[in-house]
Amino acid sequence: MLRDIIKKEILDNITSPKFVFTFLLCTILILLSVYTGVANFRAEQKEHTASLALNKKNMESQPTYASLAGIGVKVSKPPQVLGTVVTGIEEAVGRVAPVNIAADPNLIDSKYSSNPVFAVFGALDLMFIVKIVLSLFAILFTYDAIVGEKEKGTLKLALSNDVPRDRLILGKAIGGYISLLLPLLIPLILSLLILLITPDISLGGEDWARLLLIFLMFFLYLSVFFSLGLFVSARTTRSSTSFLVLLFVWVVFVMVIPKVAVITAGQIRPIPSVHEVTAQKDAFLQQIQAEGQKGFGDWAQKNQELAKTDVKAYQEKLRQFIQDYQQELTNRIDENNAALERDYQQKKRAQQSLAVNLSRVSPASALTFGSMTLARTGIDDFDRFLASVRAYKPIYTKWINSKLGESINFQSTEQVKIKIDDMPQHIYEPQWLSRSFVRTIPDFALLTVMIIVFFVGAYISFLRYDVR
Amino acid sequence: MLEAIDLTKRYEDGELALDGLTFKVEPGEIFCMFGANGAGKTTTINLFLNFIPATSGTALIESIDVAKDPLKAKRHVSFVSENVMLYGNFTAIQNLDYFSRLAGKRHLVKKDFAEVLERVGLQKEAFDRRIKNFSKGMRQKLGIAIALVKNAPNVLLDEPTSGLDPQSGREFLEILVQMRDQGKSVFMSTHDIFRAKLIADRIGFMRKGRLVMMKTAAELAHEDLTDLYIQYMEQQPGAAAVPQAGM
Repeated sequence: MLRDIIKKEILDNITSPKFVFTFLLCTILILLSVYTGVANFRAEQKEHTASLALNKKNMESQPTYASLAGIGVKVSKPPQVLGTVVTGIEEAVGRVAPVNIAADPNLIDSKYSSNPVFAVFGALDLMFIVKIVLSLFAILFTYDAIVGEKEKGTLKLALSNDVPRDRLILGKAIGGYISLLLPLLIPLILSLLILLITPDISLGGEDWARLLLIFLMFFLYLSVFFSLGLFVSARTTRSSTSFLVLLFVWVVFVMVIPKVAVITAGQIRPIPSVHEVTAQKDAFLQQIQAEGQKGFGDWAQKNQELAKTDVKAYQEKLRQFIQDYQQELTNRIDENNAALERDYQQKKRAQQSLAVNLSRVSPASALTFGSMTLARTGIDDFDRFLASVRAYKPIYTKWINSKLGESINFQSTEQVKIKIDDMPQHIYEPQWLSRSFVRTIPDFALLTVMIIVFFVGAYISFLRYDVR
Repeated sequence: MLEAIDLTKRYEDGELALDGLTFKVEPGEIFCMFGANGAGKTTTINLFLNFIPATSGTALIESIDVAKDPLKAKRHVSFVSENVMLYGNFTAIQNLDYFSRLAGKRHLVKKDFAEVLERVGLQKEAFDRRIKNFSKGMRQKLGIAIALVKNAPNVLLDEPTSGLDPQSGREFLEILVQMRDQGKSVFMSTHDIFRAKLIADRIGFMRKGRLVMMKTAAELAHEDLTDLYIQYMEQQPGAAAVPQAGM
């Protein structure tokens, strides 16, 4: 009997115009999103490679270490291959972090800043389609699952037979879910094929595992709306009421809660603005510069006699002083900036954590944060990359300061040709899959709990449903 | 056999929908129940199908208490509803196939369905057509076909003749007579006095949840059913439920 109910449910759905509409729209949107994702990734990869080459060329073309210290080194963030399906915050945050002696490194030059029109419409990635479009389809497939049968009189007719209600709801749920998945599976498989055959896209074993977890999260998210649809359908007496209730809940889940959570977190845990922090850093930098000038003046005065008696010894001492003093001042700047940054990051993390936890009431937020973490295109990845650049900065400044000291030549005005072969390189270790998975466990758990709660709600409601 | 023993239903809002209803429909008998809208006819059917629980009293199908073992009881009853839309994307045969499977008739093939559909008077060319464009009458015929396919010993019909044209109405009455001849107990709630008089073995009048009159076909032979209907429907509430025949 269960098989008959499932079969009927699938047949009823796939012969309906909504199935054809869903299938066509899913195919177009999913393929379009993956195509644009692939195109964007290829462009970003090209840009990243060009940026690395340009940076190297720029550095090598500098006449002196002093000018090299001036321009610094630009660390380019490599694009994430899974950004093809979950763009995350990749387009909103910067792609390049300039590292130099003075300023604290930060990511700049985002896609949105270079072309603000992208920010207006956002990315059309697979996550967006699942979050917005497919969740609406899940509602479209379920809003009349129970109440619609009541309106048609088929529920009374079915239950006038020795059909247990639990079997009927189970059959409807399974059949309905299969019907919802059918229009998704074909375009999703085609999308995977696109990723597989595109020459510039190279997915490793870990990437595939991540992709599967992302897809699992997509299905769980759609199941939340599917079981919610069943639940509301089993709690209402008119399909129009069911649809309106579901639409309202959808707007609250997808649109309202994530935004309200961020605003509320901002109110509960305010943080200083980036400008305030930058102003504090600049003020300290000016203070250090003034101190540096004074310190140099004092040193010169103290060593006046030596300059007159033994020029060579004076020059050697001066070189050593500049090298040490420069390093000392740089260390102080770095320490101050690091302290300010630590404090700022701590407050920002607390605010972010509150916003994320508040917004997790919504399955849309759980999907967003979870899939971004798995695709390595989320806030974690951004913070991780920035932290690696900030950790690299003292290593780089130490190297450039030593080069600056070595390059001082009092005997001749001839420029020392710069060499960057021994320049320490920035190393970025992307997050391990196990770590990413652990971070997404709350999201998986929340989605699963929501599915269970809504389905059990639908099940119990249907057992007591007034079929008249 | 269908039997109601002191069946009472009071809804949560306090409305008394059925008040101590007692009747029996014997095998090979057609019992027609009349009453204004809200008199309790459909509530009676809903109680027999266990769609709602009774406040007190018992509904029995083949001597099985519906409240105690609803699934077992429902194996012995077919149901035709007043206004069933069925699955619009399915053909007539697909609808019939699905409901016959729910009724436990898994061995039936297309030929069997075609036979039943012919019997209820549905045109052959409509068998494999999606029913979303069917008229109300055509859908009603399909609903009757679904009840026929189940072939249960008891039949509950909730205003089944609404929407049927005179020709279809006549064919439908013939089917009911065949059912009676096969020994089925038929309970029909209806407003259709003229058709009911043609086939009913007994009739009952309900008012405000009470069975206010019951007569056999023989007793009705020389009476004007319309006058009787109006007379009993205008009676004051609380009036004695007399006379009851065939109990």
